[in-house]
Amino acid sequence: MVKAVPTWLRWLAWIFVILAALLLLAPLVVVVGVSVSESQFIAFPPNGFSLKWYGNALGSREYVEAFWLSLRLAALVTLSATLIGGAAAIALSRRRGGQALETFFLSPLVIPSIIFAIGMLMLWSSLFGVTSFLALWIAHTVVALPYVLRTTLAVLAESDPFLEEAARTMGASWPRRLWHVVLPQCRPGLAAGAFFAFNISFDEAVLSLFLRNPGLNTLPVQIYGQLEFSPDPTVAAVSTMMIVLTVTLIVLLDRLLGLNRVAST
Amino acid sequence: MTDRREAWLFLVPGLALLVLGFVLPILRMLVLSVLGPDGLTLQQFARFFQDGYYPSILWRTVRMSLVITAITAAIGFPLAYITSRVGPRLRLWLIVMVILPLMTSVVVRTFGWMVLLGRSGPLATTLRDMGLVGRSFSLMHTEAAIVLGMVQVLLPFMVLSMLGVLSRLDPRLEEAARTMGCSFLQTIRRVVLPLAMPGVVAGSLLVFTLSASSFITPSLLGGARIEVLAGSIYKSVTQTLDWNFAAAQSVILFLGLALVLIPYLRLGARHG
Amino acid sequence: MQITTRSLFGSVAISLFAMPALADEITINSFGGAYEEAHRACVIDPFEAATGAKVNIVTAYSADAFAQLRAQKDAPQFDVIHFSGGQEIVGASEGLLLPITPEMVPNLADVYDFAKEGVAKGEGPAYQIAAVGLVYAADKMPEAPTKWADLLNPEYSDRLVLTDISNGYGMIGLLMLNQISGGTMDDIQPGLDAVSKLLEQGAIVVSKSPEIQQEFAQNDAWLAAYASDYAYTLQKAGLDVKFVQGEEGTPASFITASLVAGRDNVELASKFIDMELSPEAQACFSEALRYTPTNSKTVLADDVAASVVYGPDATAGLMRFDPIKIEANRSAWVEAWGKTIAR
Repeated sequence: MVKAVPTWLRWLAWIFVILAALLLLAPLVVVVGVSVSESQFIAFPPNGFSLKWYGNALGSREYVEAFWLSLRLAALVTLSATLIGGAAAIALSRRRGGQALETFFLSPLVIPSIIFAIGMLMLWSSLFGVTSFLALWIAHTVVALPYVLRTTLAVLAESDPFLEEAARTMGASWPRRLWHVVLPQCRPGLAAGAFFAFNISFDEAVLSLFLRNPGLNTLPVQIYGQLEFSPDPTVAAVSTMMIVLTVTLIVLLDRLLGLNRVAST
Repeated sequence: MTDRREAWLFLVPGLALLVLGFVLPILRMLVLSVLGPDGLTLQQFARFFQDGYYPSILWRTVRMSLVITAITAAIGFPLAYITSRVGPRLRLWLIVMVILPLMTSVVVRTFGWMVLLGRSGPLATTLRDMGLVGRSFSLMHTEAAIVLGMVQVLLPFMVLSMLGVLSRLDPRLEEAARTMGCSFLQTIRRVVLPLAMPGVVAGSLLVFTLSASSFITPSLLGGARIEVLAGSIYKSVTQTLDWNFAAAQSVILFLGLALVLIPYLRLGARHG
Repeated sequence: MQITTRSLFGSVAISLFAMPALADEITINSFGGAYEEAHRACVIDPFEAATGAKVNIVTAYSADAFAQLRAQKDAPQFDVIHFSGGQEIVGASEGLLLPITPEMVPNLADVYDFAKEGVAKGEGPAYQIAAVGLVYAADKMPEAPTKWADLLNPEYSDRLVLTDISNGYGMIGLLMLNQISGGTMDDIQPGLDAVSKLLEQGAIVVSKSPEIQQEFAQNDAWLAAYASDYAYTLQKAGLDVKFVQGEEGTPASFITASLVAGRDNVELASKFIDMELSPEAQACFSEALRYTPTNSKTVLADDVAASVVYGPDATAGLMRFDPIKIEANRSAWVEAWGKTIAR
């Protein structure tokens, strides 16, 4: 923390962080607890201890296939949304009167996803027939786009426009300016946006629910289906594994790439 | 290449995707809002405003979204600031803490709240043991439950939006303010907050629109008796199969949010 | 840059995009979880073994499946579609479904008449019936309920779970409350008044089946109007609950199988429905999930027969609220219900 912060404020900051942790993590503790419960119905505090639900999830072809599909989809969506959204943000940040366009780019956030899902399904069926992976990819990219755009624009708004101006005066061509000046400037925004894009796609249930076909079942849809008819702790086990996977991934990324350096430059 | 052409080149993929992949499908659906058995009609909109029921749902949606946004910003700003100013190790764990809720399926996460807030959850039991509430007390199926659940879900969006901006702030600015005699809190108010405004606006915008258009968390935590507009739209699409009315409700939600958002975007533009 | 990504990943997408549908496979919806397991064991696996065809399953509840069917009108993906909430009536009237004849589906001849009334119009026959009655916590209720009127007992109100009418069983529960409160299918106000009184006395409203389980398991609920099959699910989950038919009558909820119009595989799809209507499949379903069979030739083991409504006399005693009236009024009723329960 910054030096010369009053001691009482430091204490307050700690208390605040602990309370925030409680708010953010309490429901997750419940989920982890449920996942090791012995009984067949979802209960908390858990009765007994058993890892059978983990075996159940890992042994289920449906869950494993759904997981890989979601992962593949989210990775592609992250790529497409970050590229398209990042480019649009750079363009918008240097236009006068980009306000209207910016609002337009944010509109997918405002329309309830069910309306988009049904509209997309109607249009796709009349043009191409049965839905496909491509339909899901497009739909997810559309809803992920605003996040990348917002986070990148926010960072660009804070950055120094004169840097690029200076590079131009010194004769740098636009691909060079882009690579050496603009991209480093938007990096934190792009990183946050990419992260959101991945999560939006990975957790998206409504579009995936309506655009699916028998070979196209994402993890959230699989979980939703299980909870609808016969919920058992398998769902909690899947979620716990996701939690562990996330923490591992982040810590690993930090060790390998120095996430902190990326986030703070 | 000139700046203008470059700017267009960068915009085209996004615009194309949005027009073909979003505007067309949405129009395919929204056009139903004015179609009736015999041509164009505003009957669906009249139905929405025929009595106080649907307007009250709209009002609740907007009101709760504002409350959720305000609370999220109030928690998110200090959290983001602390995160941006602590050492690298602690920062990593704070970031992990903030994004973990995002990585669990919304349905499961909400289930966690259902257990915590239910009649036999720890909260109700404690209050009951203290003799403060009756047997049937439960926070489930209240607006407070929705707010709590939504704040948890949406806090990551707020914090990460702010973090991007805050971590780029030059700490020397703050030091300068301190040397010139500002107290710590004054520095935050006069220097950090104004500079972090684009992040605050970006985060609030995400949180506000997301809370207004989401229905899974509100419907599970708020229950059938506390309806929000997105839930009502979902019901019209899948239960009553009244797609024309669903489309009309979406148009109204869209316009309602635009009314709130346009002044806000202006605010963001001024600060940007 | 964008072009590079396209060529990199486009090929993957396009190969999926252009995947041809094979002639000897059909696509159906099932309801997930234990239901889907039973569906697989009782119908799908034997069907695949007998015909050599492949069955693709989309896990979708009736409402979601219907929304998908309607939006995909130009290119439906389902061959056989299953509904539990009366959606086949709307589907048939909108021309989304294909009428079934006894020639296509021989087992139809043995199905009770009331389970195949709308078949000529395109509404698929019911292959299972869920009886709706009273589900109660046997270890907690001071006295076992016997009649629908027990739902109105103020002593139980704050332990009572009502179900939102967006849920098919919830709709039936409301209509039953309405009937014992003096209402008719043309006037559900008495039912709504009864609900509003129960809510004042502390009853709660849930929307989904898992929430009922939650209420009984965690929140000390005693009583709900719900279906026999779900009572059995609760029992299997380890809860001490019992199901009893109300004295005033037992309304039934139908699970139907319909052919989708505009598909090529009508013959194979008809065979699939025929198998669902067969006595063997129906007995298997009853064994697994305690549904009432609709094929009059179905033979049940004694222990199963004891816990389901079974046989021509018992099934004749089942009542069904006029589904056409329900569909005609659904939108208005859902709105009125919403206004009644709104806080």
